[in-house]
Amino acid sequence: MTAAVLAQVVVSGALMGLVYALVAYGFQLTYATSKSINFGQGELVMVSAFVSLSLVNAGLPYGLVLPAGMLFGALLGLFVERAGVRLALEQKSEGWILMTIILGLFFLSAAENVWGRDDRPFPTPISSDPIHLLGVDITPLEISVAVGVFAVMGLVELFKRVTLLGKAFEAVSADRDAAELMGISARRAIMLSYGLSGMVAALAGILVSPITTVGPTMSSTLILKAFSVAVVAGLDSGFGVVVVGILLGALEAVTSLTVGSGWREAPGLVLLILALAVRPTGVFGKATIRKV
Amino acid sequence: MLRVEGLHAGYGASEVLQGVTLEVGAGQLVALIGANGAGKTTTMRAISGLLKPARGRVILDGREVQGLEAFQIARLGLAHSPEGRKVFGPLSVEDNLLLGAFRRLPAFFGYRRHAAAGLERVYGLFPKLKDRRTQAAGTLSGGEQQMLAIGRALMADPKVILLDEPSMGLAPIIVQEVFATIRRLKEAGTTLLLVEQFASSALAVADRAYVMERGRILREKSTDDLRHDEGLLQAYLG
Ligand SMILES: Nc1ncnc2c1ncn2[C@@H]1O[C@H](COP(=O)(O)OP(=O)(O)OP(=O)(O)O)[C@@H](O)[C@H]1O
Ligand SMILES: [Mg+2]
Repeated sequence: MTAAVLAQVVVSGALMGLVYALVAYGFQLTYATSKSINFGQGELVMVSAFVSLSLVNAGLPYGLVLPAGMLFGALLGLFVERAGVRLALEQKSEGWILMTIILGLFFLSAAENVWGRDDRPFPTPISSDPIHLLGVDITPLEISVAVGVFAVMGLVELFKRVTLLGKAFEAVSADRDAAELMGISARRAIMLSYGLSGMVAALAGILVSPITTVGPTMSSTLILKAFSVAVVAGLDSGFGVVVVGILLGALEAVTSLTVGSGWREAPGLVLLILALAVRPTGVFGKATIRKV
Repeated sequence: MLRVEGLHAGYGASEVLQGVTLEVGAGQLVALIGANGAGKTTTMRAISGLLKPARGRVILDGREVQGLEAFQIARLGLAHSPEGRKVFGPLSVEDNLLLGAFRRLPAFFGYRRHAAAGLERVYGLFPKLKDRRTQAAGTLSGGEQQMLAIGRALMADPKVILLDEPSMGLAPIIVQEVFATIRRLKEAGTTLLLVEQFASSALAVADRAYVMERGRILREKSTDDLRHDEGLLQAYLG
């Protein structure tokens, strides 16, 4: 194995890792306002990808599929908040854990019934002919993943830090009652964060599908890795999930190359166990997931 | 400006407030005093909507607001500086103040410009906050956090301010500073309902006072009468 091959594998893996980071970022968005996360986030990714695929097959141009798919994801996120999370949060119970898992299972079986159990290719106008860049081959498709992830995370971070509404998000997270006393509707802030989280999930699905294909099983593989990333990075650092996501993606690719493709899932699990054992609050964060 | 009629409220099955009636006229400073557990905080939470009243009316500037969500009541001009201050710890001092004015500011951009006059006013009242405006609110001292909580309430330019134990946990010298601030607010025409442990200090600044006991208003008196009521002072106020 030459250094060039290794570099190639690391780069492709790292780009895949950005998708894990994006899904994990979806956890952070809702955690920030409500201290709750959607355990069915993987199913949101999958269903949004299927819906986008149907739009592509219906002849909608890619430039419209992307925003339409993201809009659909946002609506699904709002639905999850309304149906599975709101009541539990208002009663200060942990019922949202079970509810979001159940909603995820519901989406999964709905997807299997509507689109079937097979993996399907996701056609895209973005080329997958590699171009040679700094000694590694990289496809425009892979570049589009990086661009999409950084663009949407950058915009959301900008929104959170620069706008007053973004600061209101943080206020709701710091003290829900006090935020209400400022005239901030905590409920709307939480709705908005679930909408954003769903949108981010849909984007992850649309970006990754042309590379991996679309299928009902994509939700469980993605969610496990995103979960590892979120736990290792902590639930409050956007920068953290990017670093850990890239690391995990690269590690997986290298493991798969050197040890064998059957060991592909190992690094994620090892990382998760190590993180929980050594630093349950995450390497970058203060917050921790309770009762998981 | 603020009228409360026959307010009943509680937590779950236990009814804490059993018909609280009180009134704060425009520009008045009214004190609400009573022993620990009398229901003063509960009264304020029921007024501002953090707690849904079971019965009774809350009238803010001629408008019934009981039953509305807390954020809606805040938008109608009620500021509530809660017990324990409740500043937004991870956010900067200035961000805390800006959020105080949330209801009047543009949600995305240009809010700093709109808030400039309000910030100047609060920094004028509390120069220490200006020095620390980029510092995380959670790292301020207790006294500074109280100043911030009052400043944050002022930022909304509210019709009525509820202040729940602004002196709680502060050193005596800082307590004096807090009361000096309250006096200045009153002189500026702010309408205030004040809950205080330091009853004699509260009575010294207030126009009127209500004494509360076990979820009821025991009596309403001018502050002079109260201050000369030795028995009462002994019983509740220390
Ligand atoms: N969250 C709660 N759940 C249940 N009971 C509560 C809650 N908060 C207060 N109470 C009860 O309501 C009663 C009134 O409490 P409240 O906090 O209003 O008193 P207070 O007059 O503000 O007292 P203090 O001077 O100690 O602040 C008390 O008996 C208290 O135990
Ligand atoms: Mg109290």
